[in-house]
Amino acid sequence: MTVAIVLTLLGASHFQNFGSAFFGFSYGSWGIMTFVVGSFLTSIPALAIAMLVGLGVAIASTTYLPKVLAAWLDPFVDLLAGIPSIVYGLWGLLVIAPYFGTTVFPWSTGHLSWIPGFAPAKFAPTPGIGTSLALAIVILTLMILPITTVLMRDALKSVPRDLWESGLALGATPWEVTRRVALPYAKRGVWGAAFLGFGRAIGETVAVFMVIDQIERLPVNIYSGTSTMASLIIGTFDNALLTNSYGHEYLHYLAELAIVLLAITLAVNVAGRWLIRRTYTEVAGL
Amino acid sequence: MSGALAVPRPVGLDDLTRDRTGHVVRRTWFDRAMRWLLPLLYLVAILPILDLVYWVARGALPSLSLATLTTNPSPGVGSGGGLYAPLVGSVAILAVATGVALALGFLGGLATAEYLDERSAGIVRVTANIMAGTPSIVLGLFGYIAFVTFFGWGPSLAAAGVTLGIFMTPYIFRAADLAYSSVPSHIREAAVGAGARPIQYLLRVASPIALPQVLSGVFLAMAIGVGETAPIYLTTTAVELPPLGLFAPASALPLYIWSGFETGLVLPSAIALAYEAAFLLLVIVVGLNILVRLIAARARRRLEGLFQ
Repeated sequence: MTVAIVLTLLGASHFQNFGSAFFGFSYGSWGIMTFVVGSFLTSIPALAIAMLVGLGVAIASTTYLPKVLAAWLDPFVDLLAGIPSIVYGLWGLLVIAPYFGTTVFPWSTGHLSWIPGFAPAKFAPTPGIGTSLALAIVILTLMILPITTVLMRDALKSVPRDLWESGLALGATPWEVTRRVALPYAKRGVWGAAFLGFGRAIGETVAVFMVIDQIERLPVNIYSGTSTMASLIIGTFDNALLTNSYGHEYLHYLAELAIVLLAITLAVNVAGRWLIRRTYTEVAGL
Repeated sequence: MSGALAVPRPVGLDDLTRDRTGHVVRRTWFDRAMRWLLPLLYLVAILPILDLVYWVARGALPSLSLATLTTNPSPGVGSGGGLYAPLVGSVAILAVATGVALALGFLGGLATAEYLDERSAGIVRVTANIMAGTPSIVLGLFGYIAFVTFFGWGPSLAAAGVTLGIFMTPYIFRAADLAYSSVPSHIREAAVGAGARPIQYLLRVASPIALPQVLSGVFLAMAIGVGETAPIYLTTTAVELPPLGLFAPASALPLYIWSGFETGLVLPSAIALAYEAAFLLLVIVVGLNILVRLIAARARRRLEGLFQ
């Protein structure tokens, strides 16, 4: 239990002389904002897609699918959570990246260039290799899809049968009961799923690093590389192994970056757990 | 369900009724569309995993043989060989990690469920839940700073094992806490009423009921831990030989894939070996997950029996 505190102390002992530049965008003068923004740029879109798809799957599972079919399909979704992230990374790198680079990106630069960030930039042409911010978002989406789905499914399952049946008895269609009764009832669980999914996404390291084509700057469009906090730590960890003063300084820098990352995930997880715990007590109180 | 409302409407209805009928038709059709569209989203979740398993199996199976499991990787970049060292290393790291996680998580969960008062148990539970959300890379960096440099263990089996053990602790804690908390209270009352001392209740009454559930939690933690790369990468180094001791570097399957990736994955032999390592990982993870389900289902049946 005390690990979190120990870690904070260890990092805090290193907290020295980075000053206001620490919260700036310049990597050269130990700024972290590039990577904070990079983390959000990958996590937020991934979370948005995973929440939409997850909500759809959760509603299908609890409302529409026959019980037997749902009982067969749901373990597959749960299993998705068990796949090691390095395997996702390997698959993303060797299978999906070439497909994106040769098929998806040429199409999207042609047809979707009206969306901000989808147009090819002059000084950063579409990379044919496919590793990019967009691919990182896609892989991240798949990785957090199970957790958002499972949490929302649980939230929807916790809706009391009485509410369901009274809705149907009033002549509402199953969709209307889901939309107007079940979802408002399960609102906290859905928000909790979003928070916990975000916590998972922002801490994801290995798979993201393998497909993001890491460069220590902000992306110019969705086809360019960038880095997140987590991917920077693993990608540039070798710098911290240098025995000269730069290496020591760099280790301190990474430790502080880790503390910022930890602070963000802790805040998000506390919020998520709080929301979900309240759902359970509400159910128990009924 | 409400499909009966969508029948062709009778002739001669006034405008108001016709509008309302149209409304019902629209609502019904929307519901029907959702009934067919939403289950299609399952494809978004399930097709990628099938594709992933297909490609990993396709990359691994042609060259996977018993020799792969029993020979060490050859030294040097992407020069082939087998996966003996990473496999043994993975097992060794996982063994150390499971030991650490059992010591911290099992005892912690037991104490929380059995001995702590409601208020402090709540605090410990929240802390453990939040700890479970700590990014593994942060733990890895902590492991590097604490074990590799501060304690001076160097990149080693011990450092990686303990770091991974800390990562796995919350999962085992949760399982132990839940298992001991869910022993029905009438069982405890019966034991105490029959004159059992607390330690007798714990060992002879509660543990036989709770342990299967704990065990499924342990396997789940192992399934999660065995595939973790970030904590191991920072606390040990990939080597071509099985670990020589607790404080010697140990390779691991995820680490092996990772070092293959770092050196570019250009040679076909390197790619094949990475796929083989990924395939082994998948087999281990899926196997452990199935074990978890079987044990958990059995434990649940037994627990339900106790309530009758």
